[in-house]
Amino acid sequence: MSLITNGSTGINLEKSLSERKAIIRENLAGYAFIAPWLIGFFAFSIIPILTSLYFSFTSYDILGTPVLNGVNNFKNMLQDKLFWKSLAVTFNYAFVSVPLRLLFAFFVALLFNRNIRGIRFYQMIYYIPSIVGGSIAVAVMWRRLFMADGAINSVLNLLGMDVHISWIGKPDTALWTLIILATWQFGSSMLIFLAGLKQIPQFYYEAADIDGANSFRKFISITLPHLSPVIFFNLIMQIIAGFTVFTQAFVVSGGSGDPLNSTLVYALYLYQRAFKYYEMGYSSAMAWILVLIVGLFTAIIFKSSSAWVFYESKEGE
Amino acid sequence: MQKRNNRILLILSVMLFTFTSQVFSTGQTEAESSEGPEESYMRLAWWGNPVRDEKTIAVANLYMANNPSVTIETETTGWGGYWDRINTQVASASLPDIMQHDYAYMLQFVQRNILTDLTPYVDSGVIDLGNVNETFLSGGRVDGKLYGISLGTNAFSLVYDTAVFEAAGIAEPDFTSWTWADFEEIAIEIFEKTGVQTMPLSTTDPKVLFDNMIRQTGASTYAKDGKSLGFTDTTVLKEYFNVQLRLLEAGVLVNPEVAFVTVTAEEGQLAKGNVWCDYIWSNQLASTQAVSENPLKMVLLPKIKNAKRPGTFLKPSMFFSIPASAENPDEAARYLNFFLNDSAANDILAAERGVPIPSDVREALKASASDLNKIVFDYIGVVAENSSPIDPPDPKSSGEFLKMFRDSTQEILMGIISVDQGVAKIMEEGNAILAK
Repeated sequence: MSLITNGSTGINLEKSLSERKAIIRENLAGYAFIAPWLIGFFAFSIIPILTSLYFSFTSYDILGTPVLNGVNNFKNMLQDKLFWKSLAVTFNYAFVSVPLRLLFAFFVALLFNRNIRGIRFYQMIYYIPSIVGGSIAVAVMWRRLFMADGAINSVLNLLGMDVHISWIGKPDTALWTLIILATWQFGSSMLIFLAGLKQIPQFYYEAADIDGANSFRKFISITLPHLSPVIFFNLIMQIIAGFTVFTQAFVVSGGSGDPLNSTLVYALYLYQRAFKYYEMGYSSAMAWILVLIVGLFTAIIFKSSSAWVFYESKEGE
Repeated sequence: MQKRNNRILLILSVMLFTFTSQVFSTGQTEAESSEGPEESYMRLAWWGNPVRDEKTIAVANLYMANNPSVTIETETTGWGGYWDRINTQVASASLPDIMQHDYAYMLQFVQRNILTDLTPYVDSGVIDLGNVNETFLSGGRVDGKLYGISLGTNAFSLVYDTAVFEAAGIAEPDFTSWTWADFEEIAIEIFEKTGVQTMPLSTTDPKVLFDNMIRQTGASTYAKDGKSLGFTDTTVLKEYFNVQLRLLEAGVLVNPEVAFVTVTAEEGQLAKGNVWCDYIWSNQLASTQAVSENPLKMVLLPKIKNAKRPGTFLKPSMFFSIPASAENPDEAARYLNFFLNDSAANDILAAERGVPIPSDVREALKASASDLNKIVFDYIGVVAENSSPIDPPDPKSSGEFLKMFRDSTQEILMGIISVDQGVAKIMEEGNAILAK
């Protein structure tokens, strides 16, 4: 302090002290305001996360006390057929449902970006599946729709097709019912795309019109680059959601991952291990593997983003 | 000066605290002994279905009407969610004062000292077991101590749609002596005459039905110590699958892709009138009948060839236990006694949890029972004469074993693997899972 003020400016020191006090007071107020969030964050996020990390190196059956067993849980995973099966199911689900959902959301957003009469009404209608999407009720409805005597088959039969497949009971089709459910719930991605589309300055298109560009060219050279940060954001969010899907698979299969574990997504198997077999340690270890996998994919997308994500602010540099 | 003041204040507050806690604790014991108007609060938890929930809540309300100082808060979920919740409550030390318990988890809970020994309450007469035969209590005893009291007796059964037999014009067989060969014949005949199919041998838990068959040989699914399978001869296991495959090939058995997706009774094939039979625990008759149009009846499962003993057994349908952490164990014990012995309470419960264990309650209920309950009472009577002793509670890895058994059953019925492959897999993986 004295080094900076050089001794000669006592008044300066005084001033900086009172300034400092004001800053601290201001900061304190800030901390007080975010304290509820901070407390919640530590009590319900950080502490449980660290506890789960500890459990992942233990054998813990919930009723008893956790016993440290080193990396045994991770070793056992290598030999656990259902662990690999659930990973495969989750990868299938994520890699099919995420692109499908994004494409669908993007397509609908493009449609909605035009000035159609009553557009707000359509936006609302198309967003509804996403609002109710995570709920148990929709998953139950989905079960009923795709049962052997469900509405899907009734409609197909009305159309003259003689179909009696139990869509949720056949190992080859069960996961697809979940993928269709995920695609149907495209609303939130769609709204984000739509917001992104509205942000694109109109003068680019006007300039392109003057240069005589056709609409395909405009889409490739203006719309896509400007939308790439939004695509990037949606991709990350949906990949994470895809890898951690639980509710839909749980309800549609009645918690079993039926038929023949074809809907046994990773989170569902993790749940079974924890609450059906009482292996909290093992399922904590599984949870950390999932964190690694999701982290890895997020990192890959982030790394690749410099090649395809275009930020307007950088352009001027 | 200030320091001394602080110290005095501290001493005073400590004294005040100990004094008040003393007063409160003596007040409490006084209230208990004199049954004064001390307010008490109690939580009661069970797993169930809408029918049971309604009855249990009505009994809790009746108790509160009789004891205005007591408040009972009820907590109910289905079977699956129940144990998730209870386990979470164990971890967070917030178990209810009285909880419904199951034979399968009893031992695990007792070993961890989570439950209260009820013997002192029986000795002091708070819980009256004067009319209860010891055989009904054995399931709730561990090392001579009583950790759970069964509210009812239960047995596994085959339930069938009487209207289908009528429509097919088939004489009903003698269900106490019928065999799996008879079962197959009846299934085929019904299908040919009415088009009504047969349910695969228990889709929710195929192991229960196989267990009944293997028990008829004198063995059990699990070895006594639970560390391995209780049988080495796979004849019965193969026959268990072959019966179903023969029916499946003839088009008589419901396609496994349809049969195995059932989650609720309403979704069941019996409720939809597609099949003539299903396999349920006797206390599930009320909820099964509630969603079925035709009158149902309940009979013993068929016999295997060369049966050495009956495979069916009497099971305590569910216990009620008082957790060691209960805030109000004395009130809970009084409530448990009411649940068990009170005639008005049992009129409401109407044996929904199984046939009651006190003989006087049982007799009184049987006299006034509905037609539906008479079926259950009669069935339990038949089982009492055609049963063998219950096996020890399921071993720790039974959850994983059941999943493997159920998956293998689906693989075999869907034709993905052969019976021999499936049986080899069940034997090999079953022993490996249980040995862990």
